[in-house]
Amino acid sequence: MPTLDVTLILAAAGCWAVAGLLPLAGPRADRGGTFLGVLGSLLGAGAALHALLAPTAPGLSFTFWGAPARIEVDALSAAFLLPLHLVAGLAILYGREYWPLSAPKGSGRSVRVFFASQVAAMTVLFVVRQGLLFLVAWEAMAVSAFFLIQTEHERPEVRRAGWIYLAATHAGTLALTAMVILLAHRTGSLLWNPVTGTGSPLDAWILLLAMVGFGFKMGLFPLHFWLPSAHASSPSHASALLSAVMLKAGVYGLLRVSGLLPTIPRGFGGGLLALGAITAVWGVGNALAQRDYKRLLAYSSVENLGIIAMGIGLGWTGRAIHNPWLVALGFGAALFHVWNHSVFKTLLFFGAGSILHATGTRDMEALGGLGRRMPRTLLLLAPAILAVAALPPFNAFLSEWILYRGLFASLDQGYPWSGGLALVALALTGGLAVVAFARFFGTVFLGNPRTDAAVHAHDPSPTMRTPMAVLAGLCLALGLASPLLLPLLGRAAGGAGLTEPGLLGRGLGHDLRLLTALEALLLTLAALALAWLRRQPAAAERPPTWDCGYAAPTARMQYTGSSFADPWAALLPGRSVRMHRLKGLFPKPHALHIEVQDAVGEGLVVPWFVRMAARAQRLRRLQPGYLSVYVLYVLIALLAAFLWPLLRARLLG
Amino acid sequence: MSPDLLIALVMLTNFTLVATSRINKAIQVAVAQGVLLGLMPIAMGLGRHLHILAMAVAAVAVKGWLIPFLLRRAMREVQIQREVDPFIGYTASLLLCAVGTGLSLILAHSLPLNPGAAPPFLVPAALATLFTGFLLLVSRRKALTQVVGYLVLENGIYLFGLLLVEDMPALVETGILLDLFVGVFVMGIVIHHIRAAFDSTDIRHLAELKD
Repeated sequence: MPTLDVTLILAAAGCWAVAGLLPLAGPRADRGGTFLGVLGSLLGAGAALHALLAPTAPGLSFTFWGAPARIEVDALSAAFLLPLHLVAGLAILYGREYWPLSAPKGSGRSVRVFFASQVAAMTVLFVVRQGLLFLVAWEAMAVSAFFLIQTEHERPEVRRAGWIYLAATHAGTLALTAMVILLAHRTGSLLWNPVTGTGSPLDAWILLLAMVGFGFKMGLFPLHFWLPSAHASSPSHASALLSAVMLKAGVYGLLRVSGLLPTIPRGFGGGLLALGAITAVWGVGNALAQRDYKRLLAYSSVENLGIIAMGIGLGWTGRAIHNPWLVALGFGAALFHVWNHSVFKTLLFFGAGSILHATGTRDMEALGGLGRRMPRTLLLLAPAILAVAALPPFNAFLSEWILYRGLFASLDQGYPWSGGLALVALALTGGLAVVAFARFFGTVFLGNPRTDAAVHAHDPSPTMRTPMAVLAGLCLALGLASPLLLPLLGRAAGGAGLTEPGLLGRGLGHDLRLLTALEALLLTLAALALAWLRRQPAAAERPPTWDCGYAAPTARMQYTGSSFADPWAALLPGRSVRMHRLKGLFPKPHALHIEVQDAVGEGLVVPWFVRMAARAQRLRRLQPGYLSVYVLYVLIALLAAFLWPLLRARLLG
Repeated sequence: MSPDLLIALVMLTNFTLVATSRINKAIQVAVAQGVLLGLMPIAMGLGRHLHILAMAVAAVAVKGWLIPFLLRRAMREVQIQREVDPFIGYTASLLLCAVGTGLSLILAHSLPLNPGAAPPFLVPAALATLFTGFLLLVSRRKALTQVVGYLVLENGIYLFGLLLVEDMPALVETGILLDLFVGVFVMGIVIHHIRAAFDSTDIRHLAELKD
């Protein structure tokens, strides 16, 4: 008899599956599809909250193709189901107007279908506890994402992004299939039950394959190459789902699979910590130099996933040296950052979508002065920008604070090199993120419009603003309510191998309460100061920005985003500057070209992938199109099957 | 008529099939083989079971009358040339068929099968017929000869099924017959459409359809 939580989760998945079919029925069913999606999200989020608060993990066992299978809603699953259904429910509301059903070439319908199928697949993915079903749900998720990325497939760069994504995700699935097989060897069945006893040499291989397979999805350096173009190509609310939840499926997989193993071999924690540090710095460094603001957000996702990977690495270090405090801090920080990133990155993508909707361009250098034209968007986006820069009192500041605590605690535990490296990298990442998002904010919202596209921008309608307002409130609320979340995080980390779920709340509760109380106090003071300032009579008339006493200022006199970030971005490999030397007292007009290419992702890995694909084309000779040849293959296989028993007896004796 | 004689005749029809150069004759031989196989259960002394008897009658009716009728009609409608037009020459096909028959004798000897009361040459004949069917499917160019290869392949499977006929429910046997009938029927339609689309029934034209 399935329990309440399991029933609700299955109902949520069912609602989303039906919501994916309804748009096919015609435009009138669209409202029903949205309703079902929101209903599914409410059911899923409710069940996830209940499962996070409940001490036991309800499950349901059944047989699938003759093999035993199981679904289970424990706290770790719930920790990922919650952001999934939050983001999905808000995104389907946002998408109603952002990508209407009447969009050209039927793309409105395909976005709805594959959005819903992806949510349904991920809902199943987060609760199944069987290798084969996990792979099926994983592929359903990955293929739905492919179609979301391909929404505007008439544009060649979108097609290219989609194919690169498809190759990357299938390469990851290959590693995951091998991992599932090894795991079945290790546990003796396809069911994912925690392994008891001592470690085995197989554990290292399982973890390595998991790091490759899930690393593709998380975008761990250098496997992040597919991520920026894929996120930039899909519709913004779909990008939000991809970035906020689908990348986290990799995080979930790493935590789940490592949680099944009795111990973590030494070295893996430090390795993942270092890899996460490199990913974070690389991601934010590239985010700094992007002109396309959706690519900037995608690189910022790479950065944040790097931070999450650092948390997991720290937790693994703790498990390897049997230190539950490090485990609690590492996994706690990682899971908290998963929630925070889901909230603020969704908000950022919604904001980016609103800007794109209003101006029609993804080029930051074409915008400017949107603050006056889109004041509500500015107000709603500000919390997310402060959160992504990890500034207090917003949520990401607190998850990174927990990670800092963990890294400092690890320094005297015998892992100084990776801990020290990660500390420096985390500090650097935070600083560069501030620059990157100050640049985004300044270039897009401040100053004067650089092109006509920005002149006529306007705020989106309430349909699009309301989901953003909910998320903006959550950015602040998750930060201020973090002491209440600690027990939940501890319980969720239990699924990843934390033995004492209460440890996080006991160890950090006091400091965190103090910190949030201080933040709340400062926030109140700031609000009071703002209210007092508002009481003063407003200045008579605000002069135009960049007036500076010039007789005829133009918008081209402003700082560009590139010039703002230049002092930091100059160190980035893969950045080429073409400029002529200026000569004479009155030089002629000159042009400056700055091109940025991800030196590892687009510079090394993608060309390698393309070469491999060209080489794989040779295999197509096996598919000549003649029926006779196919029958010949069958004959050869049949003969081999018959001859093998004969030859085996001769050869092996 | 003893089952051994029938098996020998089936083997002979195999060789005749690969060596024949006329589509008409190939169809006739395949039909003859089908009828011979339909008589097989009776020759094996299984005529006392009523359902096996009914099945044998059905097999003879389908393979001896219905299928040749469909094939002839297809030939008439699309006006196919009479030559078989092979990828592999007749002599080479004959040699390959001989190799396949020899191989199936060895295989049948060493495969872990328990023929029980069945005649000793039933399994090798079944395997040899299977290989002949495959050979025809692989080496012939016309869509209609492909159908003949498919028929022979099915005859091999049917012969194999006789090994278990007393345990095998009649449902499975009739299922095979129905499958065969539908297969030939569909292929007849497909041949017609290939002819309409490409103005020829040469299956090489189908390669243009590949991705």
